[in-house]
Amino acid sequence: MFSETYMVNAYLAGTVISIISALVGTFVVARSYNFLTHSLSEIAFAGAAMGFWLGFAPLLGMVALTALSAIAIGSLENAKVKSDNVTSAISALAIGLGILFLALGHSSSSSATGILFGSVLGISVGDIQLLLGMAAFILVLFFLLFRPLSLLAFDEAGLLLSNKKKGLLRIVFLLVMALSVAISSQLVGSLLIFVLVTLPAASARTYQKTIPGLIALSIFFALFGTWLGLALAYMTNLPTSVFIALIEVAIYLLSLALAKVN
Amino acid sequence: MMTEQIQVNHYTVSFGKKMILKDVSFALAGDQLTVVLGENGAGKTTLIRALIQSALTGESSDTIQVHTNKLAYVPQFRDLGDDYPLSIKAFVGLGIRDAGLPWLSHEEKERVSDALARLDLSELADMPLAQASGGQKQRAYIAQALAKKPDLLILDEPSSALDSMHTAELVNQIRQAQRDWKIGVLWISHDTSWVKESADSYLWLHDQTITMGPAAELPDGASSKHSEEVKHVL
Repeated sequence: MFSETYMVNAYLAGTVISIISALVGTFVVARSYNFLTHSLSEIAFAGAAMGFWLGFAPLLGMVALTALSAIAIGSLENAKVKSDNVTSAISALAIGLGILFLALGHSSSSSATGILFGSVLGISVGDIQLLLGMAAFILVLFFLLFRPLSLLAFDEAGLLLSNKKKGLLRIVFLLVMALSVAISSQLVGSLLIFVLVTLPAASARTYQKTIPGLIALSIFFALFGTWLGLALAYMTNLPTSVFIALIEVAIYLLSLALAKVN
Repeated sequence: MMTEQIQVNHYTVSFGKKMILKDVSFALAGDQLTVVLGENGAGKTTLIRALIQSALTGESSDTIQVHTNKLAYVPQFRDLGDDYPLSIKAFVGLGIRDAGLPWLSHEEKERVSDALARLDLSELADMPLAQASGGQKQRAYIAQALAKKPDLLILDEPSSALDSMHTAELVNQIRQAQRDWKIGVLWISHDTSWVKESADSYLWLHDQTITMGPAAELPDGASSKHSEEVKHVL
């Protein structure tokens, strides 16, 4: 399996993507932003379609559009507009634009499927370099802002910052979320964003009682699903995201059952 | 003359046409436990929020000056959810600082242990906060604030869900920390049963104005009707 370059690339990308998604996911789940990640992934779809249309890397299009939307959502949230409604409006707009961009770019249906369901087996060295750059950026940001982000996600009432700084921190958090959604769309596709960003982190909550523990277990679950999923996809010639989704859902259901027993 | 920790001069606040506080002035020293009293809508929360924002932005205005290096605040409500994953200890450690390295230093870990011990939570440290009782949760919130080792601690009705025995315990625990560290404590409370014995001073918000004085001289009018209300309900 590893004699094939595209599998080595897929494993490399899968590993980076899983680590980032699970790390960010821990905070997303704690802040109950699960559905916002889904909206962001629909925006990512529009961004990738825009990339195809205008002829630049789909990942760059994803990053650009999700980041912009994150700032918009954050500002509206700070302005105390009901965020569920804002997110509905923004995702409706995003999907509409996505379809438009695909039509304008005369993109093949295979590129659309690639965006929606993931296309890690076709990932290029250039894509991996871009991924690594974004992952490094997110890791540094998390290292520097770990304490305030922890408070924002796990106990916002305990976060004593002036209103201005708090608003800024919210936007930074949404930006990190947007980046990780764009990254993880590469692997599982924008329709299955929950698979890597929220499910591993949600499963970890049954077993861990500290933030480092939650992050570590969440990363373990994500990696386990990704590595096994890639291997199964290689053996069966079926799409990777199918297996990763099934594995992560199984882990989640098992944690739910265990939580009930306890 | 030593600067007071909190100085409010000619402060006026209104919601629309409704005047809440009109031209109030007061000063509080940094080593006292002050109880903030007043009926619902008297402006307690508004005043506290103004003090907190002033402390956080570090901007002193002519009307409000708050001198603090480390502020801790325990809000009245917290929405953490039934599946909140963190243990009491992890929750307390969460608030120890708002910035800096991801992990806690040795000294910071000791502060967490000390705060847990002060609120009698050492044995429950590893229990998930979601499984704690209402009173235990309240103590965990306060432990999180104490772990910061604040020089100004603001509590918004921390005892509203506690019975009189647990309220008395909480008053003692906070009083102890306040005396050990010689810090300022602002305690918003409806229950005034303990104020005369255990507080230093009172700040009574009523009729758009503020009356203050030593706790031992708390006027009858400021004493809460809380116990009467409770009796009435019973």
